Amino acid sequence: MSRHFAISFFLVLVCVCAWARTRPHYGGSLRVEIAGDPWQNPDGLARRLVLDGLTALDANGLVGPALAVDWQSDDSDHRWQFRLRQRVHFHDGSPLNAEAVAMALNTACAANCPWTAVRAVGSSVVFTGDSPMPNLPALLASDAYLIMLTRTADGQTPANPIGTGPFQFASLNNGTLTLTANDSCWQGRPFLDEIAIASNRGIRDQWLDLSVGRADIAEVPPQELRQAEQQRLSVVVSPPVEVVALHVSDWGPLSNAVLRAAIAQAIDRNPLSNVIFQKQGEITASLLPQSLTGYAFLFPADRDLNKAIELRGGISPPQLTLAADTDPTMQLAAQRIALNLREAGFNVQVANARNAPHADLALRKLPLGGADPAAALETLLRSAGENVPVAGRDPIALYRAEHDVLDLHTIVPLLDLPRAWAVGSRVRDLRLRADGTPELAGASLEGTQ
Amino acid sequence: MKPSKRICLLAILGAALVRSLFAASPGAWEQPASELAEQIVAILGPGQAHLTIRNLSTLPNDEIPVIRRLLTQDLKTHGVSMAGEESANTIRVTLSESARERVLVAEVGEGTQTQVAMVNLGPIQAERLPATGGLTLMSQQILTSREPVLDLLETPSGIVALEPEQIAIFARGSDGWQQQQRMSTGTSHAQARDPRGALLGYASGWSFVAWLPGVECSGSAAVQSQPTKWTIECRENDDPWAITQPPLNLTNWGTAAAGENVLVTPISAFYNSARNYFTGVISPSVGVDLPPFYAAALLPRSAGNGALLIGGIDGKVQLAENGALKVVSGTRDWGSDFAVLHSGCGAGVEVIASSSGEAASDSLRAYEVPALEAVPASAPLAIDGTVTALSTAPDGKSVLAVVRNAANQYEVDRVTALCN
Repeated sequence: MSRHFAISFFLVLVCVCAWARTRPHYGGSLRVEIAGDPWQNPDGLARRLVLDGLTALDANGLVGPALAVDWQSDDSDHRWQFRLRQRVHFHDGSPLNAEAVAMALNTACAANCPWTAVRAVGSSVVFTGDSPMPNLPALLASDAYLIMLTRTADGQTPANPIGTGPFQFASLNNGTLTLTANDSCWQGRPFLDEIAIASNRGIRDQWLDLSVGRADIAEVPPQELRQAEQQRLSVVVSPPVEVVALHVSDWGPLSNAVLRAAIAQAIDRNPLSNVIFQKQGEITASLLPQSLTGYAFLFPADRDLNKAIELRGGISPPQLTLAADTDPTMQLAAQRIALNLREAGFNVQVANARNAPHADLALRKLPLGGADPAAALETLLRSAGENVPVAGRDPIALYRAEHDVLDLHTIVPLLDLPRAWAVGSRVRDLRLRADGTPELAGASLEGTQ
Repeated sequence: MKPSKRICLLAILGAALVRSLFAASPGAWEQPASELAEQIVAILGPGQAHLTIRNLSTLPNDEIPVIRRLLTQDLKTHGVSMAGEESANTIRVTLSESARERVLVAEVGEGTQTQVAMVNLGPIQAERLPATGGLTLMSQQILTSREPVLDLLETPSGIVALEPEQIAIFARGSDGWQQQQRMSTGTSHAQARDPRGALLGYASGWSFVAWLPGVECSGSAAVQSQPTKWTIECRENDDPWAITQPPLNLTNWGTAAAGENVLVTPISAFYNSARNYFTGVISPSVGVDLPPFYAAALLPRSAGNGALLIGGIDGKVQLAENGALKVVSGTRDWGSDFAVLHSGCGAGVEVIASSSGEAASDSLRAYEVPALEAVPASAPLAIDGTVTALSTAPDGKSVLAVVRNAANQYEVDRVTALCN
C-alpha cells in the first residue's frame, strides 16, 4: 500500500509540473546533470535533443509522424513506404532527403534490423522485409533508429552528431556538452536558448548542485525516490518504463528448458522490490505491465523453491556466470538473485557485464515503450536480442505471444521500474516522454524572455 | 425555481447520469459474457465446472452479480453447468483493465492444465467531473479534436476551427459536428512550440479572417449552397492580428441585412512570429507604449470609452486607459489567457481568466475590473485539462475556451455565466 501511495504521490508531482498554465518564456540556459554518457545508445539524453526519428511516440505513447509525415504498408506488412517531411534541414544546412535517411538507417542498424533492406525512392524511404513488419512505425520511433547525418556535403564524416532536432551540438568541454537552440527546427524553435549537460556525475553530486542552484535537472534512480522526497526535492516520475529482467541463455549448460524453468521458479522478487529497489519497483512476471494489457496477473510472480528444486532434479550444472551492469544497484540485485539460485542448487557467480559478454545469465533493464502493446512487446524483445515480430491486436493473441516467449524461460521479468528526475524551481513545463526521459525541447525557464 | 436550486438539481441529475453509466446494466454485459462463454466452452467442452469471479478493475463490484448471472446462463446454454469447489474443472473469471481498456479474462482449469480465454471490453470512458461554483460559470463542450485547435468561430452554418497548419469547417450532422471541409493554410513557416492563432468573424457571419504566425487567411461562404461551400485563401503576411472582438449587434446576424465586410474590431496587434506573444505595437494606438503581451481584452467604460487590459509576458496584468498604463492588482492567480464576457450579471461585463497553474488542475474564473483591482465574480470553474486559448464569441455572451486534456486531445468549450 505504501508503495502505491508513494508512486501516487510522485505522479501527482508529475501532473503539477506538467500542467502549468502561464505561457512558456523563451530564452535561458538549462543545466542538466547525468550519471552516464549523453550520447549513449540507447537512451542518451542528448540523442533525442539533437536527432529525430521518422516517427515519434507522443506523451501518451502513441506513434505519430516526425520526419515522416505518413506511411503505408503493402504486401502483408512486408513492404513499408514512409513519405518524408519537406523543407527539413540538418543542422549543417543540408536538406533532409531520402538518400540521407536511408544511409543513416543503414549505419544505425547493420544487423538484426527489423527490415531486410531500406532504400530511397523519390521523397520516400522504402523498407522491405523477409518477415512481416507489423510494428515498423512504432519501432522506428525508438532511440536506436534516430536519423543522424552520415556524410557532410563535402563527403566527410561529421566530427560531432548532426541531426534535425531542436538543439544542435555547440561544444564539449570538461565533460559538459553544450547544445544550442535550432532556430529553424521543423517543430518550432525550442524555448530554451541552450542546454548544458554535465555527464558522469554521481547522484549525490547532482543533488548537491541542484540544491545550491548549480543545476536545474538531476537524475533520481528509482531506489533513491524516498531519499529525494526526504530531501524535499521536486521530483517528476514516469509510469513504469523499463523492466528489470533476467536473460537466461538457451545454449551451453542452460540449453535444457527445464533447468531454465527451475531458475525462473527460484527467484524471489520480494527482496529485490522491497530492499534493493526500495519499494519503487512493481513486481512482475509478465513482459508487459498490467497497465498496458490488463492481463499481467495471469503470470504468477511468486517464488516456488520446492518446484525449482524439483524441476532441477538431480542435475548439477557447472558454475554459472550472472552478469550485471556496473551500476551498484544492479550488482546488488544480481547478488541477491545468485543467492536465490544457490538455494535451488545452482552454483552462480556474479560478474561485471563488461567482463562477461557471454554470461549464462544476464540481469538487464529492457524498455517498455509506447502505448501499443504489440509494438511495445516487439520493441522489448528486440532489445533483449529476440527477433520476433509480434502480430495481432486483440488481447488473447497478444497474451499468447507473450506466453509463448515466457514459456521458453529465456527472459524472466522481475520488476517494472519508473524513471525519475529532480527539477529545480526555475524549470517549468517539463514533461516526460513515453520512455521516461525529459522532453527538454518543450521546457522553459522562469525569469527569461 | 431559483437559479441556485436549479444548479443543485442539475448537479444531482448529472451525478445520477454519471452513476448510471457505471451502474449494473445487464445489456452492456450480454455480448461480452456470451463471447467469453463460447471461448470457455471451446476449451472445456460440455460438463461441469466451478465458477469464480473477481474484480480487478475500477468498475464497482455491483457488476459482478450481473456478469455471473449472464455467464452462468450462457455456459448452461452450451452444456456447461455449475458445480461446487470439488469440481476438477474450474473457471476463474477476472474483470481487469489496462490504462486504456477493460478485459474479461477466464482462466479455465482442467486438472493441472490451465488455458486462458479473453474478451476485450473496449476503451475506458473517463468520468467528467461536474463543475461547481457560486455566481456560476457553466461550460458546454462544442467540439473535440485530435489536432491542436488554436481558435474557433461559430457561423450560421457551422463552426470554423483554426489549427496550426489547417482550417477545418464543421457542419451540424445527425451525430453532432461533422467535418465538411479541411484546407491547408500552405504556410512554409516552421511550426511553433506554443502555437497560437486568431479568428475574426464578419458581421454577416458568412466570412472570416484567420491569422497564424506569418500567415493571413480569409474565408467566405456561398450562402445559397447546400451544404455551405467555403472558399479560403491564405497568403504570407505579417500584418497585425485582431485582438479584441466586441459583441456584434446580432439582431441580423447571419443574414444579408447584417452587411458584408463589416469588420468589427477596434484594435489589432503585431504578433512575434518567432515567439508566442504580441510585440506591444498595436493599431490604433491607445496613447501609451505597451510592453510585449500574451493576451488583451477591451473593457467598456462609461461614456462609450474603453480600457485595454493586457497580460504582459512579465506576468503583470495592466490596464491602458486615458493614455496611462497601470498595474491591476488581484491578478496573481491569472494565467496567460483571458477574454471578456458580457454576461449582463452584476456590472454586466466580466473578464474570464485561466488559472496560473498553482492548483493541481486548471480552472476558469470570472472577475470584474471596476478600477485597478480584479475582483472575483464567480467561483472557479474546474476544467478537465489545460486551457490553451480563450476568445470572446461574436455575441459577447459567451467565451470559447480551448482545452488540452490529459489524453492530449483538444476540446472547445462554450463558457457562459448564470446570474445568481
